[in-house]
Amino acid sequence: MLRFIAKRLLLALPTLWAVLTLVFLLVRVVPGDPTIIVLGDQASPAAREALRQRLGLDKPLLVQYGEFMVQIAQGDLGRSLVTNRPISTDVAAVLPYTIELTLAALFIGSLIGVPLGVVAAQKRDGFVDWLARIVSLAGLSFPAFVSGILLLILFAVELRWFPVISTVNTSDPLERLRALALPAINLGLLMVAYVTRVTRSGMLKALSEDYVRTARAKGLPARLVVWRHALRNVLIPVVTVIGLYLGVLIGNAVLTEIVFNRPGLGKLIVSALNQRDYALLQGLMVVTALAIVVANILTDLTYGLVDPRVKTA
Amino acid sequence: MSAVAASAPAAPVAIAAPSAWKRATRSGGLVIGIVLVIAMVLIAICAPWIAPFDPDDQDVLMKLEPPSAAHLFGTDAFGRDVLSRVIWGARVSLFVGSVATLAGILVGTVIGIISGYFGGLVDKLITAATDILLSFPQLIMGLILVAVLGPSLFNLILAIAITAIPAFIRVARGSTLAMKERDFVDACRALGFGDLRIMFLHVLPNIMDEVVVMGSLWLAAAIRTESTLAFIGLGVPPPTATWGGIIRDGFDNLLDAPWLSIFPSLAILAVMIALNLIGDGLRDATDPRTPQ
Repeated sequence: MLRFIAKRLLLALPTLWAVLTLVFLLVRVVPGDPTIIVLGDQASPAAREALRQRLGLDKPLLVQYGEFMVQIAQGDLGRSLVTNRPISTDVAAVLPYTIELTLAALFIGSLIGVPLGVVAAQKRDGFVDWLARIVSLAGLSFPAFVSGILLLILFAVELRWFPVISTVNTSDPLERLRALALPAINLGLLMVAYVTRVTRSGMLKALSEDYVRTARAKGLPARLVVWRHALRNVLIPVVTVIGLYLGVLIGNAVLTEIVFNRPGLGKLIVSALNQRDYALLQGLMVVTALAIVVANILTDLTYGLVDPRVKTA
Repeated sequence: MSAVAASAPAAPVAIAAPSAWKRATRSGGLVIGIVLVIAMVLIAICAPWIAPFDPDDQDVLMKLEPPSAAHLFGTDAFGRDVLSRVIWGARVSLFVGSVATLAGILVGTVIGIISGYFGGLVDKLITAATDILLSFPQLIMGLILVAVLGPSLFNLILAIAITAIPAFIRVARGSTLAMKERDFVDACRALGFGDLRIMFLHVLPNIMDEVVVMGSLWLAAAIRTESTLAFIGLGVPPPTATWGGIIRDGFDNLLDAPWLSIFPSLAILAVMIALNLIGDGLRDATDPRTPQ
């Protein structure tokens, strides 16, 4: 297992390097002078030169690139152009909220999506199957901010079951859960859609396989055949899909945070955009890239847990 | 009659068509999707004639009016008619979405075919680059690109097109790899056809159905990205009416004027559902493995 993890980490390095290079280039290939973008076109040449030096933009591109890579390797994301605080501090302060939200959405997605997909496949074209198709179509169709706003209007403004503005800085765990509920449902809806789809189609295929027929033939109860024998083999594609869409989930978590006014990476990204804080934006891109690479590694590691055959491969 | 006779070489296609069409229309989803999309396109094209008001006309005496006979969808904080803005907003969303997707299809498919057809080092490099770009969520990528380029109609289309390219590279490359092994490609080579001719006159038509299925799903993704960026404030700059922009305006008045957000949301939803239905319907129709 340790060797498998080590190998996987090693394989992730080239991807990480390429993504970081992409981030580095994106911020620098921008048409136009970044100092004008940050300071405005009224700024004096001296002020622009000072900023250029502070950002290290006066050095050759390759030197900048080297420094950028070394900094990141040391866990240094640079300093915000606006507040001059270390970006890693700002990110560390809000990251737990984004992780909490994403995990809650994953939980909701698997808890509803897997059973829904299994039952839909069992009774094909039945009521549950029809429901599953509607749910997954809705989940795939809603942009996260649209579903978020509609949830807010219905459950927070009209029914008043949940707070309109999430107060997350509370020590009361029940209150914290209540604040998490709507954002997690909003983000979870998307995951339910993906998980239901892949579970349903995987189950349909598995149920027609020989080993399922054998299990049935030897008189095992249908419940056992479906939930133990067939489902086990469907879990690999399910985990793959969850891992594949973790990136999408992170993107939508950003939107969900904006709609529900939750602290997290989303609000940080928006403030970086509004204040044209390119250093902060670059730092956030690095964090997002890291999160996605880590998510991919975790997905691969989960294979080993779900399917013991993967470990030896 | 003469038109049918004139198109005699197309006869095999005409024989194959009914079954695919039947398969596609059996569930009804594809038909509903196509009707919805045609309706939306007509609304967008006819916006100047069917919108009851000028979308940018402000009426200070009619701020945040709830839906009424005069203003079916109510008015916004500037007293603008929301129905008219939603109708005009269809233009931006559909235009940006379709131009960006077409550009993505064009560039992605060409690169994908080249990559799959020639193989070797070129293929390895393109595949590696595609994998890396695909590992980045489309939304974040679009957001970064527009943030870096600055919000304008052109940059928006450019950013969304760039996010679409890797997906089409992958689809076109995969299909080309499969096609390359077919006998007809060998036959073309034996006849002495050039690589360009084989790639774009013989391989391309055979991988088109997969590209089109992907295209309809990506059109939905492109429109979703456009409205999302507009909602964040990175869309076509105001006062141009865009669905995401109207929702953004409405979001500030969510408590006392929820209709401002609800109606453009429903418009986005209708397009998303329609395009997803079309994508699923086309996939079912073109994929022979789909259970009958």
